[in-house]
Parts: sequence; structure tokens; C-alpha cells
Amino acid sequence: MADAVLAAEGPEEPGSDLSLMARLSTGDREALGPLMERHQRRVYRIALAYLRNPDDALDAVQETFVKAFLSASRWDGSSDAGPWLSRIAVNHAIDRYRRTKRRRATYTPMEEGEHNQHYATEDPSPERRAISQNLGDRIGIALGALPEKQRAVFVLRHYDEMSLEEIATTLGLRLGTVKSSLHRAVQGLRERLSGLAS
Amino acid sequence: MMLAHLLLRRRVALLAADALVGPERSRVESHVGGCRRCQADYEGTRSFLGLLGEDPLREAVRQGEVPVPLPVLLARVDLSIDQALARPTAHAPRPWGLGIAAVATALAIAALVPHVLDRTKKRDPERDALGPLVSADALDRLERTVAREQTARYLNEAQDVLATVASSPRDCERAEQRVDVEAESRRSRVLLARRALLFDDHEGAVAGAQPVLDDVEQILREVAKMEACARFGDVLRLQEEIERRQLLMKVRLMQRELLG
Repeated sequence: MADAVLAAEGPEEPGSDLSLMARLSTGDREALGPLMERHQRRVYRIALAYLRNPDDALDAVQETFVKAFLSASRWDGSSDAGPWLSRIAVNHAIDRYRRTKRRRATYTPMEEGEHNQHYATEDPSPERRAISQNLGDRIGIALGALPEKQRAVFVLRHYDEMSLEEIATTLGLRLGTVKSSLHRAVQGLRERLSGLAS
Repeated sequence: MMLAHLLLRRRVALLAADALVGPERSRVESHVGGCRRCQADYEGTRSFLGLLGEDPLREAVRQGEVPVPLPVLLARVDLSIDQALARPTAHAPRPWGLGIAAVATALAIAALVPHVLDRTKKRDPERDALGPLVSADALDRLERTVAREQTARYLNEAQDVLATVASSPRDCERAEQRVDVEAESRRSRVLLARRALLFDDHEGAVAGAQPVLDDVEQILREVAKMEACARFGDVLRLQEEIERRQLLMKVRLMQRELLG
């Protein structure tokens, strides 16, 4: 597909996503470095928001770019590979989350101190760290109880701060479905976390 | 006011999440300003989302720094690609594999042709003892699986239409106080045409889905009849019906059941 786009549109700007994807589709691995440099952070943010674990998120970034290389010929040829990579990242995160959830019947909070290591707040107060850890755990449990579509929409909106249109493109959903899912996700979380303020 | 409230109440959470823009945002803000119930809902949701904002993960995501340097990550990706390419895959047959497959197919056809041609002749007990190449049971199971998957796919697409109608579609630019359902109406007609094809064969395979399919069909028929710019009241009536029948939940559950 990338080859066809390249042929149809003529020479493209070197270093553009279009050019890099076209090179990837021919098996040119040298194009991976610039592509990863441009998009790795976005992919990592999506994976981290969904998986809530930096190691899992890093694996997801790796797998996303491996998949991107192996599937480059199936890319739709749009000028920005970002949304396409985001979709691969989300799909991989969803699959990985499902596998992890099946292995663990219930959500297991992280070990003591692990939160501190990975995303501690600037405030060194032990009480504050404990509160943050507890909050993070409770939110993680509540998110895990949401249906998959609602979880994905909420995570992309609340953590990755994507617009509803971007979410629709990334997840391959209609805008109306995204709105409905976000509404239900917020309501569902409010019910499950009704004691949060106390 | 009541009509606007019923239509817009589902947008309050989106407003609180800063997810609305443009005229839609203005409309919901205007309504919230004049509706005590929605105002309370808005403030409660806003406060709740503010608390969620204190999730330490949020800051980590915002910073989004990949914890290993790019060259290290690139090396890992390279290694994974090498491993993936070294593995034989079912989707990428080797060139010589294609040749073998072609020969095997030709042999199978050669074996089948006399079997098919001889069916009108007197049966040879010795050949009959070999049995059919594909059992009737296996074929039946395959067809039932296909029927279930097709039905699940149909329900998935119908769910999109229903979800859009249920969540208040866009305002119609061509007429005031009207809602744009042109796309949903068109999709409904296409889906209704497809529904007839689902049940030519193997109704038994999806018999359990019949009540849900009937419900979905009724709503799709209503949507299909609507004008491109439909009246608020008509859309509201449909929304209430979808909610009363708990249709979105039933569709979701039925999809899961069909796909096992």
C-alpha cells in the first residue's frame, strides 16, 4: 500500500512519515530509527496509560514498532503514521491487558515502593505517597472493571488527552460511539469510586 | 426545557471532561446554566474527575519519557524483528511451499473428479468404504460457526448505529431544532437488507439471538424511516426505547455469546 501511495504521489519529503513508511515497506530497517524517534513517546504514553505499568508499557512500545515494520506494506498511506501506530499500540495494550487479567483473577496492587520508583510525586511526604499509591490502586481496580471499549476511550481521553475525534480514529469507532462510551465510563467510575472523596 | 434536558443530559459528563467543542459545547453549557439538575451533575462530575486527576499515573503519562535510550530500544526492536522473520509463519508460505500446495491441490482435485462424476452411476461399495473427504458433521459445524460470526458482526455494526442514536447525534446544519441522522438512516437500511441474508441457512445456529435481533430490527426500521434531519422528539422517543429495552447491553452480551 505504501508503495502504491508513493508511486501515485511522486517524490515525498525525505524523513517524512510517508517516506519512512515507504522505506519500511521495502524492508529498509534504517527507517526505523527516525520513525521511533518521532513517535516512541506518544506510543509509550498510550501504552502506559492503558497498562499502568512502565515495564509492560515498554514491551508494548517494542512490539508496536516490530509490528509496524512487519505490517508496513498494509499502512493506509496517510501522511502521518502517528494514528496508525497509536492504533497498533492500543490493540497490543488491550491484548496484553486481557492476557494479564486472565492470569490474575483479581487485580494485584503493586508492591510497596514500586509506585514511588516509577511515578512518585515530587512531594517526598510519606503520607502523600501512601495516599497516591492507594488512589492509583483504587482507580486501577475501577478501570479494570469497565468494559473494554469504555476503558480504552476513557484512558485515551483522561490520560492521553486525545480529542474525541482522535480517539475515534485511533480505535476505529464512530464519534457517537466514543461519546456514548465516555459518558458510560465516567458514570461507571463515579459509581465504583463513590467513596473517593472521603 | 424538559426535552432539551432529556437530550442533553448525557452530554453533561462530556462537558465536565472538557471533551466537547464548538456549537455543541455552547449548547450544553447553555443548558447546564439553566438546569439545576444538570448543573449539580456537572459540578459533581467535574469534582470527581479532578480527584482522578491526582492519579500519579497521569503525571507519568504526561511526561511520557521512555525509560530506555533510543539506541537500546532500537536494538531490542531489531532483535525481535530478526526473531519474527526467522520463525516460519502460516501466513507467509515459502515459494517452494506454494508449489507443493499447488501439486497437492491438483492431486486432490484429480482424486475428487471421478468421485463426483461417478455419483450418478451405480455406487462402488469398495470406494464408498473410503468415506467422504470432508465429513458432513465437520462441514455443518463450520457453517454454523460462520453463521454465528456473521451474526456477531451484524450486531456489532447495528450497535454502532444504536449507540450514535442513543447518544444524541449531531445538530442538523440545514435546519434548526433538528438532528442529523442521515448516515445512521442509510446504515440502517443497509443493515436491514443484510439481516435477511443472515437467516437463509442455519437459523438453528443463531436461534438464541433471535429475540435480540428482532429488537434491533425494530429500532433499525424506525431509524431507517427517519428523514436526514430528524425532529428532536422522534430521536428522543427512540433513545427512550433503546434504554427501556436495554438494547445496547443485550447486543453486547449476545455478541459475546455468539463468539464464545
